[in-house]
Amino acid sequence: MDRTVLLISTLLALVGAVWGAVSVHRGSRTWWTLVFIAGAFVAQLFFLEWRGQMRGACPLRDQGEILVFLAWSLTLFYLVVGRPYRLSLVGLFTAPVVVLFQAAALWPGVMSLDPERSVGVDAWREAHAAVSVLAYGAFALAAVTGVMFLVLDRQLKEHHLQSGLFRNLPPVRELLAAVMRLLWIGYALLTFGIVAGWMMSHRGGWSHLIAAVAVWVLYGILLMWQRMWGLTGRRLSLVALVLFLVSLGVFGVV
Amino acid sequence: MELICVGLNHRTAPVEVRELFAVAPSKLGEAATELRDKIGVEEAVVISTCNRTEIYVSGDAGAVRQLEELLGGAEHCYHRTRMDAAVHLCRVASGLDSMVLGETEIFGQVKDAYQAALQAGVTRGVLNRLFQKVFSIGKKVRTETGIQEGATSIGNVAVDLAEKIFGHLKDSEVMILGAGEMSRVTAQSLQSRGARSIFVANRSYDRALDLAQQMNGHAVRFDDWQLVLAQVDVVIGSTGAPHTIVHKAEVEAVRRKRKFRPLFFIDIAVPRDIDPAVAEIEEVYLYDIDTLEQIASEARVRRAKQIEVCEAMIREELDKAKLPGL
Repeated sequence: MDRTVLLISTLLALVGAVWGAVSVHRGSRTWWTLVFIAGAFVAQLFFLEWRGQMRGACPLRDQGEILVFLAWSLTLFYLVVGRPYRLSLVGLFTAPVVVLFQAAALWPGVMSLDPERSVGVDAWREAHAAVSVLAYGAFALAAVTGVMFLVLDRQLKEHHLQSGLFRNLPPVRELLAAVMRLLWIGYALLTFGIVAGWMMSHRGGWSHLIAAVAVWVLYGILLMWQRMWGLTGRRLSLVALVLFLVSLGVFGVV
Repeated sequence: MELICVGLNHRTAPVEVRELFAVAPSKLGEAATELRDKIGVEEAVVISTCNRTEIYVSGDAGAVRQLEELLGGAEHCYHRTRMDAAVHLCRVASGLDSMVLGETEIFGQVKDAYQAALQAGVTRGVLNRLFQKVFSIGKKVRTETGIQEGATSIGNVAVDLAEKIFGHLKDSEVMILGAGEMSRVTAQSLQSRGARSIFVANRSYDRALDLAQQMNGHAVRFDDWQLVLAQVDVVIGSTGAPHTIVHKAEVEAVRRKRKFRPLFFIDIAVPRDIDPAVAEIEEVYLYDIDTLEQIASEARVRRAKQIEVCEAMIREELDKAKLPGL
C-alpha cells in the first residue's frame, strides 16, 4: 500500500512537470502545476506516515525512505518558500527532481518492502536525521533555483528572449536572492542536524557525522565567500548545484 | 436610428489638420452635448487623442454629411455605419488602429471619452450598450491574444530587460554616458519604473549638470565615470564619441568592489560606446542598438500577426451581442 501511495505521488509530480512545461512552452503560466505538486505532497505525507507507523520511528532507515523524505522536504520548501516569493516557476523545475528521487526510491531493492521495526528510539538520532534531510531539501531547492538562474543567464547573454520560459522566469536578482536565502535556511538546519548528530549514540562509528560536517564546512565556505567577497551569479549557482550533488554522497556513508 | 462614426486619424489627416479638431479631455462632455444639439442626434460620444478625433452618434444616416463638415469636410474624414462602426470602435479600443499597434493608452482614452459623455447625459440605449460591450471586448482582445506582447520601441525593450535582470527597479541605480536625447528618454523610462537614482556623465559638464537637474539626478565629470561604475546597476551609453568608451579592463577593475553583482549595459550609441568584449564578463549583460531594435521589430511583427485573430474575436463577440443600432 505504501508503495502505491508513493507511486501516486510520483505520477502527480510527473503530471505537474509535464503540464507546467507545456504551459510555459505556450507562453502562459498555470496554477495546475501547483495543484499537482500539492497533491504529490499530500501523498508523500501519507507515505511517510505509513512508513513511520511500520518503523515505529522516523522513516529514514533505508535509502528509499531517505530519498522520499528528501523529495518531501524539497516539495515542502517549494510550497513554503517558492510561492510567496513569486517564484512559482520553481514548481516546473522542482517537479522533475521529485519524480527522479521518488522513481529511484521505487526502484526494486532500494526501499525495504518489509521495514524492520525500531527498538528503542534515540531522540537525538531522530532529530539529526529529520532536520538534516530538511536541510538537504533547502539545499536541493537552492540548486533547482540555481539551475533556473543558469537558464535565464544563458538566454540573456545570448539574446534569446522569445521563449515562453524566458517570459515566465523570475528576474535574475530575485533568483539569486532566493538561492542565498535557501542556502542560509539549509545551513541553519544542517547546523542543528549536526549538533543533534553529535549528541546521538555512535554505535555505527563517526564516518557519517564526519561526512556531514565536511558538507557543513563546504556550504559554510560558500556562504562566507559570497558574503565577504561576492560571487557571480553563475558561479554561485554552479557551486550550489555541485555542492548539493556531492553532498548527496553523505547518505551513502552510514 | 443607427450607429454612425465619423472621424479623422493619423492615417487620413496630417497633424496640422488633426490639431484643428482636437478636443481637450475636460471638454469632451461639453463637445458631445453641443454636437447632439447642433446635429439633432439622440446620443453622442467624442473621442479625441493626439492621433484621432472621432464622433460616435446614434441618429439618422443623413447625419454623416453634417459630421464630416464639422470635421473640415470629407477630404480627411472617414465614416462607418452600423456594424462597421462598432467593429471600428472595437479596433480603436483594442489598439489595432493605433500608430503603435496594441498600445494600451487608447483604451483609457476611449473610457474617459465615454465617461464624459455619460456624465453630460448625452448617451442612452445605443451608445451605452455599445461602449460597455466594446470595453469588455477590448479587455478580452488584450488578455487573450498577443496584441500587446513584447516591447515595440528601443526604450521599452531596454526597460523590460532591466526589469528581467533586476526585478523592481527601485533598488537600481543608472548611469548615462552622454547627455543625448535618446539616453534621456531611456533613463526617464527607467526612472518612471522606479529607478532609484540617475548619474549623468558627459564631456561637457554643463550639459551633464543640466540633464541631471532635469531628472533629479547627479552630474558626474566625464573622467570620473569609472568611479560611479562600481555602484550602478545599469549603464546607458549614448555619447557621440568616434571610439568605444567602456572597455573590458575598466569593468574588470570594479568587479570586486561590486561584489560581482549583475551589470546591464545598454549601448544606443553609433559608433558604439561599449566594447563588445565587455559582454565576456560573466555578470555583464550587453545590448547594443541593433539588438534592441531587432527585439522591438520582432515584437512588432508578432503583434501584426495577431491582427486577424483579434478581428475575428471582435466580429464574433459583436455578432453574439446583438446590439441596437447595428
